[in-house]
Amino acid sequence: MSFGGLHTDHRAIVAAAVIVFSVLTLVMAVLPALREQAVSSPAGVAPREGEAERGRQVYMREGCGFCHTQFVRDLPMDRPYGRPSRPGDYALEDPPMLGTQRTGPDLADVGSRQSSETWHLIHLYDPRAVVPQSVMPAYRWYFVEKDQAGPNDVVVPVPAGIAPRGKVVVAGPDAKALVRYLLSLKQAKVSP
Amino acid sequence: MRDPGLVAAPSVDPATVRVTFEYLAWATLWLLVGTGLGLTASIKLHWPEFLPFAGLSFGRVRPAHTSLVLLGWSSLVLVGLSLYVASRTSRVPLWSPRLARIALWLWNLALIGGLVTLLAGVNRGPQEYREWVWPLAVVLAAAVLIDGYVAYRTVASRTLPEVYVSNWYILGGFCYLPILYVTSYLPFYQGSIGNTVVQGYYMHNAMGMWFTQLALGVSYYAIPRLLGRPVYSYALGVLGFWTNLLFYPLIGAHHFIFSPVPWWLQSTAILFSVGMMVPVWAGTGNLLLTFKGGSGAVRRSYALPFFVTGLIGYGLSSTQGTIEAFRSANIYWHFTNFTVGHSHATMYGFIAFIIWGAVYGLVPRLTGREPSPLAVGVHFWLALVGILTYVISISVAGILQGFAWVSGQSFIASVIAAEPMWLWRTIGGLLMVSSHVVFAVNVWAMRPQRRIAAEPSPDAVRIPA
Repeated sequence: MSFGGLHTDHRAIVAAAVIVFSVLTLVMAVLPALREQAVSSPAGVAPREGEAERGRQVYMREGCGFCHTQFVRDLPMDRPYGRPSRPGDYALEDPPMLGTQRTGPDLADVGSRQSSETWHLIHLYDPRAVVPQSVMPAYRWYFVEKDQAGPNDVVVPVPAGIAPRGKVVVAGPDAKALVRYLLSLKQAKVSP
Repeated sequence: MRDPGLVAAPSVDPATVRVTFEYLAWATLWLLVGTGLGLTASIKLHWPEFLPFAGLSFGRVRPAHTSLVLLGWSSLVLVGLSLYVASRTSRVPLWSPRLARIALWLWNLALIGGLVTLLAGVNRGPQEYREWVWPLAVVLAAAVLIDGYVAYRTVASRTLPEVYVSNWYILGGFCYLPILYVTSYLPFYQGSIGNTVVQGYYMHNAMGMWFTQLALGVSYYAIPRLLGRPVYSYALGVLGFWTNLLFYPLIGAHHFIFSPVPWWLQSTAILFSVGMMVPVWAGTGNLLLTFKGGSGAVRRSYALPFFVTGLIGYGLSSTQGTIEAFRSANIYWHFTNFTVGHSHATMYGFIAFIIWGAVYGLVPRLTGREPSPLAVGVHFWLALVGILTYVISISVAGILQGFAWVSGQSFIASVIAAEPMWLWRTIGGLLMVSSHVVFAVNVWAMRPQRRIAAEPSPDAVRIPA
C-alpha cells in the first residue's frame, strides 16, 4: 500500500502537519479575531478606572468568571439578565469574560439589577446571609472583624448570628473595590 | 499485512526506560495533586464552608485542578509514552534521553509555578486552560518544543523505511501544540471578541490536536502489540490522521453558540462538529476491530480492558460533543454542568483509560516488574464506577439546570435542583481519586530495577501472516 512519498518521509509529514494547521489557525482563529478586534466599537461604553478597575483585578484573582458568565444570549431564558450582548460591549474588556458556566447567575448587567452596595457587601461576606440556598464561597478574607468601627470604616450590616459575637464587620479595600466593579457592570443603552 | 513497527528491537535501551518511567512517575504525582484539588472543588459545591481559605476557594482551585490534570498528568504521561513508542517503532534508542529529561524538568518547573501562582490568585482571568501568566507559558512551550525535537530526531534516525502510523499522530501532536499554545497567548488580535474567538479555538483544539493525537499514537502501537496482531487497517489510521487535521481546527467556536462571535464561525463549527465523526469513528472502529477474535486476550490481560473502555469512551463522548454543538441541544445544555460531564467523559473516559491501558501494557515489559493483577483490577473498577457515577450525576445536574432556566424559574431554583447531584458527583470523584492512589502504588511496583540487564527480546511478537 502506498500513501505517496509521505509514507516513508517524516519531513513531509511534519511539513504537511505544520502548514495545514497553521493555515487553519490563520483562517479560523487569527483572521476572524483580528476582524472582531477591529470592528468592535465601544459605543456608549465608558472606560473603567480607579477603584472599579482594581475590583476587576479582584474578580479575576478569585476566579469569579468560572461560575458567572457576562454574556446574555438572544434567548427567552436569558431575558432576566439584560439585553443580548453585542461585540461592542466587550470593546474595552481585557480579557472579555463571557464564560462557559452558569453555576451562578449572569453578571453582564448586575449593576442595574442589584444596585445596592450594602447588599453586595453582605453577599460577599456571607452569601447565605442573603440567599440561604447559595453555594457561593464566602470571601471573608476581604473583611475585618473589629471590636469597634473607626470613623472612616464601612460597616457591613450583617444579620445577627452571622458576625462573630460582639464584633462589627468592616469592609476591606478589596471588598469595596470588588463591589465598585460589580456596580460598574451595566449594559450600555443601544438603539435597536 | 505485516506491521514492520511491531517487530521488537533486540532490547530496550536502559536510558530510554529510565526517562520514560520518570515522566510516568511525575505525571502520577500530578494526577494525585490535580484530582485531589478537583475533589476539593466538588465538595465545595454542596458544602460551601469546606476549607474556607483564600488559597483554596473554588475560583482558585478550579483552574489549578484543570491545569494540573491537563498539563501535568495527561500531557506528561502521554509525552513519556510517546517518546517510548517513537523509539520502539523506529527500532532505535531514544535520541538524547538527556534532552528529554531537561524537558521534563521544564514541565515540572512550569507546573509547580502554575500551581503556586493560581492558588495565590495570580492569573490571566477565567480564560480556560490558559490561566497561567506568560512566563510560565514560555517555560512550558520550551519543554514541548524540546520533547517534539527529541521525538522528531528519533523517528528521523529509524532503521526501517516506513514511518509507522503511531508516529504520524505523535509528530503531528508535537507540531500542533506549540502553534496552538503560542497562538493562544500572543495578544495582537485578542482585543474584545477577538479574545473569545481565540478562546474557542484554543480550548477545543487542545483536546483534538494534542491529547487525542498522542493517545491515538500510543494506542496504534500498544493495542496491536498486546494482541500480537497487526492493526485492522493501516489506511483507516492514516485517514483518521488527515480528517482530524482538516476538520478539528474548524470547530472551536461551538463553545460559543449564540454568542457575539461571528455567526458564520459558529455555523462552520456546528457543521464540522458533524464532520468530526469521520476521524472519531475511523479511529474507534479501526482500533476496536483490531480486537476482533481477540476476546480471549482481553480476558487474560489486565491492560486491554482499559483500552476497550477508553475506545468506547472515545466514540461515545465525541458523539456526545457533536450533539451538544447543535443549536437546538445547545439551548438546554450550554452553561450547565452538562459541559463538565462531557469534558470528564473525554479526558477521563477516553484519554485517562487509554493512558492506563498503555502504562499497564507497556511499562512491565520495559522495566521487567509487574504490578499485582488484583491491584490493577481494583484500580480499573474504582475508576470505571467512579467516572460513570461522576458523568451520570453531573449530566443529570446539567439537564435539571437547563430545564429550570428554560421554564423561567428564578436562578436559585437551578442551584436547588442540581445540589443533590453535586453530592453524587463528589461520591464518584472520591472513587476516582481512590483509584489513583491504587494506580500510584502500581506505578511504584513497576519501577525500573536498579540495573537493567539487556534482555533477549522477551516481548518479540509473532505476527500471524
